[in-house]
Amino acid sequence: MNKLIERITQTREVFTVVFMFVLFLGTGIVNPGFLAPDNILLCLNGSVIYILLAIGISFVITTGDIDVSIGATLGLTAAVCATMIRDGSSLLAASATALLIGAIIGLINGLGVTKLRIPAIIMTLGVNGVVRGSIYVYTEGKWVENLPAAFKRYGQITLAGFVNLFLLVTVLIVIGVYLYIKKANKGKYLAAIGDNMCGATLIGIPVDRTRILAFILCGIFAAFAGIIFASKIGFVTPTAGNGYEMKAIAACVLGGVSLTGGVGSVIGAMFGAIIMSSISRILVFLQFSSNWDNTITGILLIIIVVADALIQKHLKEKARRERLAARDLFVAEKTCEEVGGVFQ
Amino acid sequence: MKTSSTFNWKKLIFRWEMALVLILLLEIVIFGSINPRFLKIPVLLGSINDYISICIIALFGTIVMITGGIDISGGAIVGLTSMVLGLLWQDVGMNIWVAVVISIFTGAICGALNGFLVSYIGVQAMVVTLGGMFLYSGLAVVLSTLSVSSAYEGIGGFPEEFLHIAGGKVFGVIPNPFIIFLILVVIAYILLHKSRYGRYVFLVGVNPNAAGFSGINYRLVSMFAYIFSGMAASVAGVVLTSYLGSCRADLGNGLTMPIVTAVVLGGTAITGGKGSIIGTGLAAIVIGLLRFGLQMSGVSTQYLDIPVGLLLIVAVAARGASLYMKRPSFLVRKQKSV
Repeated sequence: MNKLIERITQTREVFTVVFMFVLFLGTGIVNPGFLAPDNILLCLNGSVIYILLAIGISFVITTGDIDVSIGATLGLTAAVCATMIRDGSSLLAASATALLIGAIIGLINGLGVTKLRIPAIIMTLGVNGVVRGSIYVYTEGKWVENLPAAFKRYGQITLAGFVNLFLLVTVLIVIGVYLYIKKANKGKYLAAIGDNMCGATLIGIPVDRTRILAFILCGIFAAFAGIIFASKIGFVTPTAGNGYEMKAIAACVLGGVSLTGGVGSVIGAMFGAIIMSSISRILVFLQFSSNWDNTITGILLIIIVVADALIQKHLKEKARRERLAARDLFVAEKTCEEVGGVFQ
Repeated sequence: MKTSSTFNWKKLIFRWEMALVLILLLEIVIFGSINPRFLKIPVLLGSINDYISICIIALFGTIVMITGGIDISGGAIVGLTSMVLGLLWQDVGMNIWVAVVISIFTGAICGALNGFLVSYIGVQAMVVTLGGMFLYSGLAVVLSTLSVSSAYEGIGGFPEEFLHIAGGKVFGVIPNPFIIFLILVVIAYILLHKSRYGRYVFLVGVNPNAAGFSGINYRLVSMFAYIFSGMAASVAGVVLTSYLGSCRADLGNGLTMPIVTAVVLGGTAITGGKGSIIGTGLAAIVIGLLRFGLQMSGVSTQYLDIPVGLLLIVAVAARGASLYMKRPSFLVRKQKSV
């Protein structure tokens, strides 16, 4: 039992989950309507796009890179998918095309970062510009509208009367990815590379291949989010997805994924995304103006990272003290000459 | 002693800044041949109004990046400054110049918050300034609701002298923003390349621990880099407000990416410890003229992200490749033996 508690407190995601519950319960105390099951479900449904983006980018962030092109990728894939479906393609063909585009953008990012040795933020920044421009070229600056009702209806399909189809698929994906990363050997490559790239190379992990794979996965998840975006919103503007990359990164940070790499999980990213997208709804229930949305997001983000940094600092200091104390004890016990000499 | 006295021409010519100057000349020749109007001096100089804020913020963003950090909150501070300025002038009824000073001070406070969290608490710069970006742009929106003018219209009707900041011309030809840019280039150049503070900045970027051990207050040095960056964003906000003649909370939207592009294209290493003000200044003008020239050649504004993105990738890849080939000989041998 003690071990269980210890393990729980050592998991970073717990901090985020507790924070989310406190936030939701706090809002519920002020306005009980917030805790109604319907409303909670609406909160979760509204966060599907952010969840997908956040878990996609969490792969890249875990390997120590970053991808700021996902907002544009979402926009392009949403536009392509919506245009194809409007022109009579099947959902399968349109989705496959969108996912392929996402994968190709990810591949380009990955190749630039690993083979051309361009820093990830610069490479993806450049790709972001190119993809964002391509949306205008593709749509000729027009909105993609008049999507068939059948396509838009996917967003309203519910299973067992209350679980939204998209939400269910997303949660299943998160659980699958989480188990793969935690249990499979290859899943651990990501964190190993993010923690110590040289060390990962030395023990024989295919570093470049894994980093490229992380970028490709990120692109595919962004494309998936794009398909859902097109279906949920029902039309696609050329500016679709503008600024989503920053929100996805913020969601990861809220969920305990460290931008230096090697730390964090998709579960954390998911809860971070839920918090991110629920803030505007929480504000409404607290009878604040939704103008405070970004302000509150910024404050929450800063509070979380500062608290995390201070806790980490404290733990590091504690570990150092313990190590020093253990060393002193060791030296005192072994008064043998060589041992004393080594530690002097 | 002998080597230092002989002037190294080769070193001067094969510099990154020279490549930027070449790109700049190439742009002027190409766009000039497509649209001769582009070559008119008033048009060429006047174009700076379109990208002055990118130039100003990128100059001081360079200092932040040399310390090993990054500041992506610049665009948000532009909007916040603009709103503070408008509110103080219109709703509080302050003198416009006092309002300008206070709004620049606001930028310094925003930068100080960023810098404090980065250097004293030890949070990653990207995360802090990301949070700052949300916070400051959010505050700007909140401030805009406090004003008696509607948020959509913005605050307008500034006095003539204030509009003169961006609208005026020196000798009837050179636009004021160009002069402001030159002055800021000189200030940033002296600060980074000719002062003791600048040396500390480079040392902190290369190795903060070494800087700390050599008795430098490295936390304060990097904190001040963020303060300068925040103040620069505020100055850009004031100039932009003066140019447009109205305050809006979303003035700085979409500036983040061009700023980082300009800094990186200017030859600043994203890992810190390397970079130059002249490079950043040239790169900002290269990007600005590229956008302006393409627009004058009839390319629609929305497509402009493509060439700028490509330029960034190609330039950084080419630079990386040239550095890779120029690596010291012992590294080359080592790789062959493996």
